[in-house]
Amino acid sequence: MSEQADAEGSPRRRQRAWPSWPAGIAFLAAIAGGIGFGWSYVWQVSDWWLGGFLALGMLGLGAGLTYWGVYLHHEDVAREDFPYPHVDEAERAALTEELECNEDVITRKRFLGLLLGAGATILAIGTLFPVQSLGQLPGDTLFHTKWRRGSRLVTTDGQLVSRGALSLGGFVIAFPEGHTDSAESPVALFKVAADSLELPAGRESWTPDGFVAYSIICTHAGCAATQYEDESQLLLCPCHDSAFDILRGAKPIYGPARRALPQLPLMIDGQGNLAAQSDFEEPVGPGFWNLP
Amino acid sequence: MRTDNEMTAAKRGGEMTGQISQVETMAPEGNSDATSRASRWLDENLGGAGFVRRSMRHIFPDHWSFFLGEVALYCFVVLVVTGIFLSLFFKASGDQMVYHGSYEPLRGTTMSAAYSSVLQITFDVRGGLLIRQIHHWAALVFIGALLLHVCRMFFTGAYRRPRRANWLIGVTLLILVISAGFTGYSAPDDMLSGTGLRITFSIIESIPLIGPWLAFLIFGGSFPSADFVARLFPLHIFLLPGLIAGLLGVHLAILWRQKHTVFRDSGGDDKTIVGTRFFPNYALRSGGYFFLVGGMLAALGAFLQLNPVWLYGPYSSWSATSAAQPDWYTGWLEGALRLFPAWDIHIGGFLLPAIFWPGVVLPLLLIGFLYYWPWLDVRITGDRGVHNVLQGASERPGRTALGAAILAALAALFVAGGDDVIAVIFGGNFRTIVWVLRGCFLGLTPTVALITYYLCRLRRRPTSRMKNTSRGAGPAPVR
Repeated sequence: MSEQADAEGSPRRRQRAWPSWPAGIAFLAAIAGGIGFGWSYVWQVSDWWLGGFLALGMLGLGAGLTYWGVYLHHEDVAREDFPYPHVDEAERAALTEELECNEDVITRKRFLGLLLGAGATILAIGTLFPVQSLGQLPGDTLFHTKWRRGSRLVTTDGQLVSRGALSLGGFVIAFPEGHTDSAESPVALFKVAADSLELPAGRESWTPDGFVAYSIICTHAGCAATQYEDESQLLLCPCHDSAFDILRGAKPIYGPARRALPQLPLMIDGQGNLAAQSDFEEPVGPGFWNLP
Repeated sequence: MRTDNEMTAAKRGGEMTGQISQVETMAPEGNSDATSRASRWLDENLGGAGFVRRSMRHIFPDHWSFFLGEVALYCFVVLVVTGIFLSLFFKASGDQMVYHGSYEPLRGTTMSAAYSSVLQITFDVRGGLLIRQIHHWAALVFIGALLLHVCRMFFTGAYRRPRRANWLIGVTLLILVISAGFTGYSAPDDMLSGTGLRITFSIIESIPLIGPWLAFLIFGGSFPSADFVARLFPLHIFLLPGLIAGLLGVHLAILWRQKHTVFRDSGGDDKTIVGTRFFPNYALRSGGYFFLVGGMLAALGAFLQLNPVWLYGPYSSWSATSAAQPDWYTGWLEGALRLFPAWDIHIGGFLLPAIFWPGVVLPLLLIGFLYYWPWLDVRITGDRGVHNVLQGASERPGRTALGAAILAALAALFVAGGDDVIAVIFGGNFRTIVWVLRGCFLGLTPTVALITYYLCRLRRRPTSRMKNTSRGAGPAPVR
C-alpha cells in the first residue's frame, strides 16, 4: 500500500474533480436496458428493440464502469519489476542439477528406454488407422458421373427436355433422369445455330439440332458456372470470373480456369427427347493429381 | 446503508466464530469483516491469499493498443455465450427434407435439416435472429481485433525474447480462430457458404499425390456430402473452441507471468513496468470494456444485417450466387484465386492444378512466415537480448516496410476478391480489371515497402535524439 502514500494526497483532490453522477446515469441506462429487453421479449416487438435495449443496457454498464475505473485511475500510477531479465542464476543451476540427477533414472536403463520409445511410437502410429474411416478412397468416383448411354435429360424439377423445348439462343440446366440430386452431373444445355459451332474434331455427332451440353462444374474451383451471357455466348462462373466459349467446346477465354468444360455427347431418342450418348469422356470439375 | 451492512456482518461474524474474532479485530481499520473472512477463506482453503494479493497488484500499462487483445478476448466470451444458445436449436444434419416452416418464400423447398433449423432460429425462435447476428458479428470483430493485435506485436517488436513462445501461441490462436469462423460460417449449409466449401474441397483436391484422398477423408466422400454438414458442428462447437479456450488460458498465464511490455515514453524500462494496478482500477475498466464491446456487438447485431442466409437459399450444386461476398477474413484468399493465372502444370502424366499455388502455398507461406518471424528477426538483427521495452515503428524501417508490404499485398488481394463488385460499380470487363488488379498487387507491394522505409528513415532521426534527452530526465510522464 506504500504506493498510495507516494501519491502525495493529490488523488483526493482529483477525485473530487470528477463527479460520480455520469456513472449513475449510465447505470440507470443499464436498468432501463434490462427492463426494456424483458418488455420487448414478452411483447414480441421486433429484434430491433430487443437488440437495441440489450445494447443500451450493456453500453450503460460499460460506460459506467469505465468511467468509474478512469475516475479512480488517478489514485495510483504504479510501478513494478519485471520477472525478466532478472534471471535467478542460482535457481537455474539448481534446476539443471536436479534434472541431471533424475536423468540417470532413464539413461541407466538404456535398452528399456529404447523399448519404451518404440512402444509409444508404434502404438501411436497404429491408432491412426481408424482415421481412414472418415471417408472412403476416391477410387474412380472423380472420373464418372451418373450419365449413361441413353440417359434422358431432365430439368431441375424432373421434366423431360424435348427437341422443341428450347428456341434458338435458349439455355437450361439439365440432369440425367432420376438423378437430379447428383452433384457431379448437371449440364448447361444450349440451343445454338448448328453452323456457328466450331467444336474440336470428333464431336460432330454430339450436337443434334444445334443442342450442345457442357458440365457446369467449373474446372477451376468447382463452382457452378451458370451465368450465360447470350450476347457473347460465354458461360461465366460467378466465383472467380472464368469465361467459357460455348461455341468452341467451352474453351476458357479468360479467368483462372485452364481446362475446357467437358462436353456431353447428345442424341435425340425415338420419342423426340434429348438423351446422352454416353458419359463425359473426361472427368468433370477441377483438376487433381492423377487427372490425365 | 454501507455501515448497516458492516454492522450486521460484524455481528454475524462475532456470533459465528467466537475464538477467531480476536484475529479479526487485528485487521487494519476500514476492512469489513466480510473482506477479512473472504481472505481467510482463500488462504485456508486454497492457500491463495498471497497469489491473489500479488495478482491484484498486477500492473497494466496505459496505452490504447493493449486494448486490442482485450477486445478479442471479450468477443470470445460473447461468442461462447451466444453460441451455447444457438447450439441448443441448431440441427447438425445434412439429411434432406421439405421445409414447412413459417418463412413463406422457401416453403416446399427441399433443404438440409441444418439449413431448416437455421430458418427456425431466424424466424421462429424469439430473439434467435438477434443472437445469431450478434454471434456472427462477434466472430467478424474477433478476427479483426486479432489481426490488429498481431500487427501491434509485429510493428513494435513485442515478439522478441522473452515473448517468443507467446507469439507462437498467438499465431496458433489466430489460425484456430479463423478456422472456427469458417466452420461456423459454413454450418448453415446455405448457398453462399456451400459454394465456399466447394472451393475448399477443390483446393484440398489440388494437393499433389494425396489431394483427392485427403479431400474425401475430410469431407466424407465426394462433394457435397451429408456427413460433412454434420461434421462441421463438433469442429465448430467443441474441438476448435476447446483448443482456443485452452491456448487462450496459456497465452494469458504467460502474459500474467511475464507482464505486459512497456512503451518507452510511459516511463517504464527493461526492468520496470509502469501503469495501473489490476485491482481495483483496471478491473473496473476491464469490466467496463467488456460491456462496451458486448454492447457494441449487440447494437451491430440489432441494426446491421449480415449474412441473410434465408435470401441465399439452401445449397445446391447447380446454382451459384453472384455479388455476394464471403466473410471478410476469407476475402484475400478469394482474391488470390481470382488473380492467379491459369498455370496448370503437367509433370510426367500428372497434373498440378493452378489453384494449388494461391489456395495452398500462399496461406502456408504466410503462416510459416508468422511462426518463423521471431527467429528470422534474430537472424537479421543478431539481437538475442531480452526486451521489455517496445520499439517505435520507425526504429526498424526494414521490419516496418516488410509488414506494410505484406498488409498492402493482402489488401490488394482483398479488393480483388470483390472484383465483380468493382465491375458493377466502375464498368469495364473482367479481363481489364483482373490485369489492373494484378498490376496493383505486383506494383503496390514494393512501392508501399519503399515509401514506408523512406518515411521511417525520415522520421527516425529527430525523434530518436529527443528520446535520448528525455530518457535521462527521470520520472515518467503520467497519463
